[in-house]
This record gives sequence, C-alpha cells and structure tokens, in this order.
Amino acid sequence: MQTVQRGADSTIRRPFGFAPRSFGVWTVVGAVLVVVPQVIHDSFVLDVLILAGLYVGFALTYDLTVGYVGSLSLAHPAFFGIGAYVTGLLATKLHTPILVNLIAAAVLAALFAVAVGIPSFRLSEYSFAVGTLGFATVGQVVAQNWIDVTDGPLCVTNIPKPAIFVTIDSLPAFYYLMTAAAVLILLFMHRLIGSRIGRSFKAVRENEVMAESVGINPLKYKMLAFSLGAAGAAGIGTLYAYFIGIVCPTDLALTGTLTLLVILFIGGSGSLRGVVLGAILVTALPEFLRIGDQWRLLLYGVALLLIINFLPNGLEGLFHRRSRT
Amino acid sequence: MQLFIDQLVNGVTLGSVYALVAIGLSLIFGIVRLINFAHGEFFMLGAYILFFTFVQAQVPYGLAIVLCVVGMGLVGAIFYKIVYEPVMDRKWTAQLVATLAASVILTNAAILLFGGTQRGAPTSLSNQVLILGTLRVSYQRLLAVAVTLVAFFLLDLFITRTRIGRAMRAVSQNREVAQVVGINIRWIALVTFTVSASLAGLAAALIAPLQTISPTMGALLTLKAFAIVVIGGLGKVTGAVYAAFLVGLAESLATVYVSSEYKDAVAFLLMIAFLIWRPRGLFGQKVGI
Amino acid sequence: MILQVERLAKSFFGLNVLNHISLSVAEHELLSIIGPNGSGKTTLFNVISGHLRPDGGTVTFAGADITGQPAHRIAVRGISRTFQDVRLFASLSVMDNLLLAVQQHQEDNLLGRFFQSRSVAAHERVAVERTREMLALINLEQYADFPAGQLSYGQRKLLQFGLAIIPDPSLLLLDEPAAAVNPTMINTIKQRIVDFNKQDKTVVLIEHNMDVVMDISHRILVMDYGEVIAEGPPEAIRHNPLVLEAYFGR
Repeated sequence: MQTVQRGADSTIRRPFGFAPRSFGVWTVVGAVLVVVPQVIHDSFVLDVLILAGLYVGFALTYDLTVGYVGSLSLAHPAFFGIGAYVTGLLATKLHTPILVNLIAAAVLAALFAVAVGIPSFRLSEYSFAVGTLGFATVGQVVAQNWIDVTDGPLCVTNIPKPAIFVTIDSLPAFYYLMTAAAVLILLFMHRLIGSRIGRSFKAVRENEVMAESVGINPLKYKMLAFSLGAAGAAGIGTLYAYFIGIVCPTDLALTGTLTLLVILFIGGSGSLRGVVLGAILVTALPEFLRIGDQWRLLLYGVALLLIINFLPNGLEGLFHRRSRT
Repeated sequence: MQLFIDQLVNGVTLGSVYALVAIGLSLIFGIVRLINFAHGEFFMLGAYILFFTFVQAQVPYGLAIVLCVVGMGLVGAIFYKIVYEPVMDRKWTAQLVATLAASVILTNAAILLFGGTQRGAPTSLSNQVLILGTLRVSYQRLLAVAVTLVAFFLLDLFITRTRIGRAMRAVSQNREVAQVVGINIRWIALVTFTVSASLAGLAAALIAPLQTISPTMGALLTLKAFAIVVIGGLGKVTGAVYAAFLVGLAESLATVYVSSEYKDAVAFLLMIAFLIWRPRGLFGQKVGI
Repeated sequence: MILQVERLAKSFFGLNVLNHISLSVAEHELLSIIGPNGSGKTTLFNVISGHLRPDGGTVTFAGADITGQPAHRIAVRGISRTFQDVRLFASLSVMDNLLLAVQQHQEDNLLGRFFQSRSVAAHERVAVERTREMLALINLEQYADFPAGQLSYGQRKLLQFGLAIIPDPSLLLLDEPAAAVNPTMINTIKQRIVDFNKQDKTVVLIEHNMDVVMDISHRILVMDYGEVIAEGPPEAIRHNPLVLEAYFGR
C-alpha cells in the first residue's frame, strides 16, 4: 500500500482567512499576550520578553531571504543597524516622531538592499553571501569610524522615548509595542507567503532555472524578499533604539547573524511557527540561565554545529515527523 | 615621496601576508567548494602557537615557525574531520554555517582559555631595520616577504608536480569525473584543509611579531580574505595572489592618502566595485561558478 | 514564419556548438530536429528559450526580435519548453507546479497579489480550473497534492509536458519527450503532442526515437556540428545520404 506523503503545500490562502478551529487557539494566545504585563511585574522577565519579541521580528524578516527564496544573506545585522542609527540620529538631532523615523529607516534599508543585492545576486549564489558580508563589514567600519555622524564607539545616546498617542517609557508599554510589532510582522509574512507571491518565492528557492522557464523573474523576487526583509530589520532596529536608548557600532556586529542562524536552524527555516518558537527559545533561555557573553556565543556555536548534524530541519522537523506517524 | 615608498613597502608586506591567507581560502573554495568562515581563526591559532612556543617556551624562532606550520596542519586535519566531513554531502549553505559555528567556537574558546588581553611576540628581527638610502624596512618584514615567495614556489611545485597536487586540480575542475577516475575525494579534502591551515599558520608566524596577538585577530582577516578571493576570481588561486597584493597596496596607500580609520573598508569597497563592474574578478571565468 | 533563427553562433571554451545556423519554423507545423549527440540541438533550444545568450545571430518570434532576452520574458511571450533532464519543482505539490506554470501568464501585479484583489482571485480560480483539467488530461488527478519529486519517471515526464502546455503557448519546444519511457507511455505522449499541434499550435521536437519522428512530423531538420545539413519531409530524410553518414558514417 503506497504511503501518501503529505506536507507538500498547495493552493493559496484566502486573505486573513483562518480555519475556525485555530481561531479559538489564536484568541487564547492573543489573550495571554495582552494579559502578561498585568500579571507579571518582574522587570527582568518583561525585559526578556521584549527582547524575545524583538528577535521574533528580526528572525522572521531574516527568514524571508533565507528560508523563502533560499539566499544566504549575511547583511541582516547591518540593516538592523541602519534602522537603529537612522532612528537614533533623527530622534536626537531632529526630534522627529516615531512614525517618520520608522519609515525613513525602512526606506533607507530597502534602498541599500537593492543597491547591494542586485550586483551580489548576479554572479552566483556564492557571491551573494560574500557580497552581503562585505556590505555588513563596511557598515560596521562606517559606524565605528564616521565619528562626525555616529560618534563612533561613543555611541548615539539619549534617544528620547517615542510617543504613539501616549509616551512609551515603561516596560509594559514597550512590551505592548514590541509584541504588536512582532505580531504585525507575523501577519504580514503569513499573508505574503500564502499569496501568489509566496508561491513564486518557493519556486525560486526550489529551482531557479525552472522558475525562469515558467515566466518568473528570479532576480525580482529575490530582491523583493531581500528588501522587504531589510525594511523589516530596520523597523526592528528602530524599536530597539527607542527601547535601549543607545545605539553603538557593536549592535551591527556580524555575530548577530550567528544568533539568527541558530534560531533558523533550531526553529526550522521556512516555517513561521518554527521560527517564532526558535526565536523565543534562543533568546529567553540564555537570559534565564544567566549565561555570560563568551559562553553564550560558544554555546550557540556548539548548538549550531550539533543541530546541523543531527536535526537539520530544527524543531519544525520534529513536528512533521510526529504528525506523520 | 618618502611616505609613498614606505607605504609601497608596507603594502607589499601586507600583500604577502594576505596572499598566504587568501591562497588557503581559495584552495578550499576551489577544491572543496566551501566558504570557510573559520579561516581567520587558523591564523589566530597559529599566532598563539607562536606565542606559546617562541615567547613562553623560549623555542628558537626558526623552530617556532616550523611548529606553527606543522601544528596548524594538524589543526586543519582535525577541523576537516570534525567540522567538514559530517556535512560534506549537504548543501553549501549548511557547510558555510558549520564553519561559521566553528569560527565562533574557536574565537570564544580562545577568549576563555587564553584571556582577552593582547599579547606580543616580537622577534629579534622585529626591531632591526635595514637602511637603504632613505628606505627603512624592518628585517622582519623582509623575512615575511622572502619566506612567502619561497612558500609560493614550493606550493606551486606541489600542485603541479606531485600526484596529489594533480589530483587536487582535477577535483577543483570536475568533482564527479575525479571520483569516477578513482580519486579519493575525502583524502583530497583532508589534504586541502591541512595545506590551507598550514599556510595560515606560516603567515601568522611571520606577521605576528609585527602586531599584537588577540583572540579576535582572525575575524577581520577572514572577511578580507573573502573579499580578496572574490576580487581575484572565485576558485582561481593565482587570482587570489594578485588580488592580495592589490588589496595590500590599496590599504597601505589609503591609510596615508585617504584616512587610516577607513582602511579596513578598502578591501570590501574594492570587492563591491568588482561585483558591480567585473563580477568574475581578475581571473575568473565568465560563467559563474 | 512564427520562428526565425538567423546565423546563430555559440561557442563554449573554443568549441563551436552553434555554427551560424539558420532555420525557420512555419506556423502550425510539427517540426522535428534530429542529429547525432553533440550536434547542438539542445543548445539551439537553450538560445531560443533565453536560457543561453548567443555569441551572434538573431532569433525572431512572431515578428519580434527576442535575441538575448531573459528566459522568463520569453516564456511569457508564448514559448514553452521541456528539458532533457526532467525539471520540476520537486518538493512542491503537483498542483502547485501547474499553478506556477499558469500564474505568470495571467498577471504579475505584486500589490494585487498581496491583497488578493478581486482580479487576482478570479485569475486564481481560472488557474485552478485549468489545472484540474490538465491533471485529468495527463492522468495525475489523484496525485494533485503529492510532491512532484515523488512521481515515477514517466509521470514526471507527463507532468513536465503538462507544465509546458498549460499556459497555452503558441510555440512548444520539446526536448526528447520520448526518451527513456515505456512504449505505452510513448504512444500517450505522441498522441498528446499531435492533439496539441492540431489546436493550431506550433511544435518543435528534438528526438532520437525515429519511429516517433517519422510518424508525426510534418518536416524534419537534421543538425550536425551546429549546422543544418538536411531538411525536408520524413520520406526525403529517410533516404538522405548525408543523414546516414552523419549518424553512422563516423
């Protein structure tokens, strides 16, 4: 008897259409998310939750490029940094409101993505990785050395708190802001991936030559994913700048990519649920275990190496295995 | 004028170090099709071997160089076994991520084991200077360039005259066919990693006396080596050498004539320029790899 | 003339694979291209479909110069092709494969797609309709949700054929459609090709299977060393000495 292997997704979703059963689940999750700061007052925990929300957004936007069109980008921390610096500078020097800063950051990041992406994609898949790496490195050098603008190692400091109808300057307020942002990004990606655009993404990831043969312009879709991801990262960077209040060159560090890769590999690249869970796990766990910086990075490295070898599809792979039996 | 000549000399020295490091990276990419993120860490470990043998154990410099080369060769072989072999049949992105993980492990383990403070390993030649008219060059630099040239020569002999070298070239041209004619890919990959790491060790032994040693010294070097390999043409070892000298000279001149803070960006700006105007690099093929 | 190829040249590492070859294809004809291995047939297809850029010469389709245009643009103009090594989106479902083959020929409006505008939704319904019809035509209805890579070789060939004809192209290029397939399947494929051609479509085949070629072609072109060495109706080619020499006289 031939076993049917399901799991191959087909046909697209109706916009904002959710199955009735999962609607209940979502309501519960939503309720929990809203209630958290009313129940938990420990500032450490709230801090961690905010950080987790940040990484959820950061990782989801990264997965757009890596998981959905299959291009290994090493520039995501740079786009994050662009967002953080643009916001920090605009907020401190021009006192522009959060919405303006957010849009400026996202647009600038997207423009850089296009400028870096197009030449990098042209030669081969390898050159994209190296090209984005070069961009990220230049970004770090510029942040470090353009003292006139970024203050270099002295950082951009005293970033004022943002105001959306009310001033957001308490941990619960930031929690709601970050969670709302993460949820928005999640919904956006869910819609994008469930649409015809998502189908084209998968085609490009799966077999680029074949995608071309059916009329899909691979460069267009790769650039779309890449620049949307960049804009998203910049948005997260904006929120980060407001939350921490300081933006330093080390925020652009390439080790940020390591954390992202750990999340993608643990959670399962290409799966929304997997990446969200992975982000929460990877961010929260080291915090709660109070692991120092070097040990944390060491652990990430070891974890990544082990996961690549033994669990290539991450947690999501485990999910699939279970549902098939 | 004097400044210009000084920077030319610096550029050549820098270029030869970059070349030794970039050749290793280029060999690995050309033969094994791997982007090795941990390559700079080979350099860093080599520098620490030098420190522990030459400075702490007071081993004579010549012997210390040999120990660096051999020691790193061993590290390269172990690296092949632990990091690369388990993922050698996977997609190149998985392999790259494995080396990235290894790079982070090595760097942070070094910080935890050796401490983050910078060390020095000056040799008797570091401070002795050759004076030719108005030219002042440290003997250590001259040694670095001289040994590098010898290393190139030996490497070239190895690749062109030995059976293993020929096998390596065969694999870099067409992996499937090489396997069909009986070349043991694993063995070739092992040799490539060993040679690559040894070259990095040699570079470290030559140049560490001229700078400070720290666990993170490899990071920027890895990135620059990538840029150099792209500029030279992915997979083309001779290209990497030329590109290395190009970058070395460009950096030295930029330090003086543009700004010393941005010198580190030179390699990447050059790379981006090549990606835009001549993506195949100096010697690469027109069709992408 | 729906397709005109003029003095097309392409060389790889010094080897002249296409040697200033010229040919034309008449509308509604079923043309077969035959020739020994290495004569440049697939390269010719690759240049026409935009997967390779020629070193010189021109390709004109329906009066428009398409030389050097990227493959995705040419595909949308109405040229479809299959590949010798059957290419599909292996981990996507059979259904998704077919839907992908249709959607680019309907529209490519990013915003409309994101928000699932009414016109995009309508296009999607039409696409699903056509996909179901095609699945029936190629007997893969019960495999609609299967990952394409899990099909048998013959089924994959049929799917590839389905992918090529579902966007309703005016010119269909088939690269060895009968290769490595059992005799029953060959008959099915032959029939589908003839049926498609009867719908006023132009078909160009590369084939080594002489039975198929002689049976269904209106005209045959023989290539060797990147040039056309003979052409004519099947009967003429069957007895052409140049052809025999090219195939056997080496």
